[in-house]
Amino acid sequence: MNTLVHRRADWTGIIMAVVLTLVIVLPLIVVGTWAFANVWRYPSVIPQEFGLRFWYQTLARADVWTSIGTSLTLSLTVTALSAAICLPAAYAFARMEFPGRNILFFSFLAGHAFPKFGLLVAIAGIFLQLNLIGTFWGVVLIQLVGTLLFMIWIPVAAFQSVDRRMEEAARDVGAGPFRVFWSITLPQAGPTIAAAVLLSFVGTFYETEGAWLIGAPQVRTLPVLMISFINNQPVIQYGAVLSVLLWVPSFIALMFARRVVNSGSFARGFGG
Amino acid sequence: MTIVAEGSTGTNENRGGPIGLLLVALPVFLVCWLVIWPIISAVMRTLWLTSETGEKRFSTETYQFFFSDPYSLSNLSLTLWTTCVCALLLLLVCLPIALYLRFSTSKVAAYVQGLAIFPMFVPSIILSFAFIRVLGPNGTVDLLLNAASLPKMRSPYLTPWGPVIGLVWDNIPLTVLILLAGLGSVSNQAIEAARDVGAGKLAVLWHIILPRIVNSILVAISFAVLGIFSAFTLPYILGPAAPELIGPFMQRTFRDLYDPINAITQAVITFGFCIVFGLFYVRSVAKNRAP
Amino acid sequence: MSVLKIKEISKIFAGPVRAVDNFSLDVADGELVCLLGPSGSGKSTLLRMVGGFETPTSGVMTIDGEDITHVPPEKRPTGMVFQSHALWTHMNVFKNLAFGLKLRKVAPDEIKRRVDGVLDLVGLNGYGTRHVAQLSGGQQQRVALARSLVLEPKILLLDEPFASLDQHLRERLREEVRDIQQRLKITTLFVTHGQDEALSMADRIVVMRDGKTEQIDRPDIVYREPQTPFVAGFIGTMNLIEGTVSNGIFSKAGYSTPLPVSDGPAILAVRPEALDLSVVTENSQGKVHRVTDYGSHGLVDLELLDSTRIKAMVSHPDLFRAGQGVTLAPRAIAAYRGNAVIHRA
Repeated sequence: MNTLVHRRADWTGIIMAVVLTLVIVLPLIVVGTWAFANVWRYPSVIPQEFGLRFWYQTLARADVWTSIGTSLTLSLTVTALSAAICLPAAYAFARMEFPGRNILFFSFLAGHAFPKFGLLVAIAGIFLQLNLIGTFWGVVLIQLVGTLLFMIWIPVAAFQSVDRRMEEAARDVGAGPFRVFWSITLPQAGPTIAAAVLLSFVGTFYETEGAWLIGAPQVRTLPVLMISFINNQPVIQYGAVLSVLLWVPSFIALMFARRVVNSGSFARGFGG
Repeated sequence: MTIVAEGSTGTNENRGGPIGLLLVALPVFLVCWLVIWPIISAVMRTLWLTSETGEKRFSTETYQFFFSDPYSLSNLSLTLWTTCVCALLLLLVCLPIALYLRFSTSKVAAYVQGLAIFPMFVPSIILSFAFIRVLGPNGTVDLLLNAASLPKMRSPYLTPWGPVIGLVWDNIPLTVLILLAGLGSVSNQAIEAARDVGAGKLAVLWHIILPRIVNSILVAISFAVLGIFSAFTLPYILGPAAPELIGPFMQRTFRDLYDPINAITQAVITFGFCIVFGLFYVRSVAKNRAP
Repeated sequence: MSVLKIKEISKIFAGPVRAVDNFSLDVADGELVCLLGPSGSGKSTLLRMVGGFETPTSGVMTIDGEDITHVPPEKRPTGMVFQSHALWTHMNVFKNLAFGLKLRKVAPDEIKRRVDGVLDLVGLNGYGTRHVAQLSGGQQQRVALARSLVLEPKILLLDEPFASLDQHLRERLREEVRDIQQRLKITTLFVTHGQDEALSMADRIVVMRDGKTEQIDRPDIVYREPQTPFVAGFIGTMNLIEGTVSNGIFSKAGYSTPLPVSDGPAILAVRPEALDLSVVTENSQGKVHRVTDYGSHGLVDLELLDSTRIKAMVSHPDLFRAGQGVTLAPRAIAAYRGNAVIHRA
């Protein structure tokens, strides 16, 4: 295959790397720079004064702390609920035989067969009748639906990749079914499941559209607050500081979930 | 990630019938209640309208309104334009990246792959903010142009190109990953055999590689279209106020105009436009996951 | 027809290892040459360089005197058959064969004529509309061969084409390919790690090891007169006994035999079929370890006194039993010192 690639200097690669760096990394560096700029007036290419002034100011705002609290509570609640109802279901799909198993398994795709925001509006129509608009639990429900596909499909793959012979060997030496699950299956499938849980936490943390449509203005998550900062806040640095704060969970996810994302199986989950 | 339905039919799992159903009951109920029912209900509510007296009657008037209202129609055509342009741009950008990643052995490839996947870890709200700071008025590009004594550019912020740039940026990772997974099925030897019988690089791409990844390309496009057609955050922040994309339009109709029936009508119309892509996408994913 | 000349070709991938090391070979017109060696010996790399899929680090290759060293594969007059057939599964058999002709802008009726002709040649008449997936492994490999032949290449390259087939099919295709090659008189380079394949098909065999040539000869000569202990051990079964020579006597753990060479270490090579055994009760040189009866002949595993294992082929295996003492009488021997033959008798 080497002959299909430029062997000497990989110019194609270098050009792609440079362009992608400019397009993908540069905008984020600009945001990071704004967060640490005390003064940055046009037309200076770099800030006139660096400092943490706007960090103090941003973190002194009550609405920021409320939003952080709301976002964390919401994400934790949704992730915990999702894990509680999805992981047993995933185990059942992977290891048990029951009527309608395949059709039920693929039913989780339904949410992905429709344009997302259209579906949200349809759900909001239902919530309107149930008085769930503008409530914490309304937002929880809508986020929970968003996590179902990942939280079932990825763990199913994880459970299935555990070699049945390992479980059978444990049964053979005298472990009961529950013991086998706890001591053999779960530790083997653990890392992938942890990645799924992490992805659903991060996904919920960043979910903007459902939170905005169902929750705002009563339930203000960080992304929702960010929208109002972008729309109404003349001080640019507030948004920049908030962006850096917002990106922290992403960074953690990046560290831990990279292997899962990079593996081909992740893309195949999207039908590639 | 293959689900091994028949393959996993061991001796000690057939007895899981009722327990299995019980374990999957809650998530399945959620999907029925919050995905399938809202869609059915949306169609019903917009076709059987409730009059002031409380009776229900069949009527297509909300749809007639949408398709006769010039503002709705211009929003729809802007949405269609944006979706087409984004899908096209995504292919033009991602296909070369995926091809390069598939066939490269150099060390630069790992870096390129890392960058191409990176936007997956950047929430669209941060992207919107970064977009304004870089491409907006007096943004970084303007600063650099000014430093080089060049005139300012015409900012794409608040024009139809704003959402296009943002949405393409946002969709690069999954498009690349899907195309790359598709390219994995093209064997090196199949390509070498083609070169052996005299095919140049373009002929190899056209006759050997593309026919094999047509399905992946369609999946990538479907996935992108489903995401872009009703996108909300990026067009809401970066796009023009009027005409607007259908996502912000629905949101405004629902919340600001407090007109849920028309908002749901718009939602059903987006379902209609995307149904082909949605079904194709689901079919491909199901085929990949099926035993 | 065509002559392939390979001159002092080397290929270095990453690091200091030379995959192919200063290799030279001339393949005569219409000749079938087998590159034989264990995996990692550089034979596939060499074939891929002839096909244009790898670029040599140094050296020159010519076909009919024309330098092809840096010609890309699509412009080379070579046709390659790949190990895993590499058929294009999105095209049917006819389209697979016609693809190269179409790229050359051959007229449709001419394409049809040539494809039908070559399908006939490989015994797949009427299979044109079949899809690749509908064919058996052997048929797929025949189509792959036909795909290369239809372009009438000057040099045919085969890269372990039968490796993924079962034994029975392999033997049949081996004969078919040899028949076709001789009928077309096409110059052919064939890579294999199976000695049977090389011995039964080749006009000449090139035994390779670590990117270098160990021996280039006719199959019968490679078998009867291996030039190095490596070739001796690689082709067929060979007992290689490492011992020392002093005063014209080779000795190893109680076994000795005259060997008219200078003093020093030596490797004695004896084919199992050229080693006679006699059962003795005392002064034995070795002990029978196991006897295997193959019906037509028998194989005796025996141990010298220091438990060096050797094999002998016998016509009456029932004469031997485990534990018996034997003496050895080789009918034909060769001796090596270092990598060179020092004696043959």
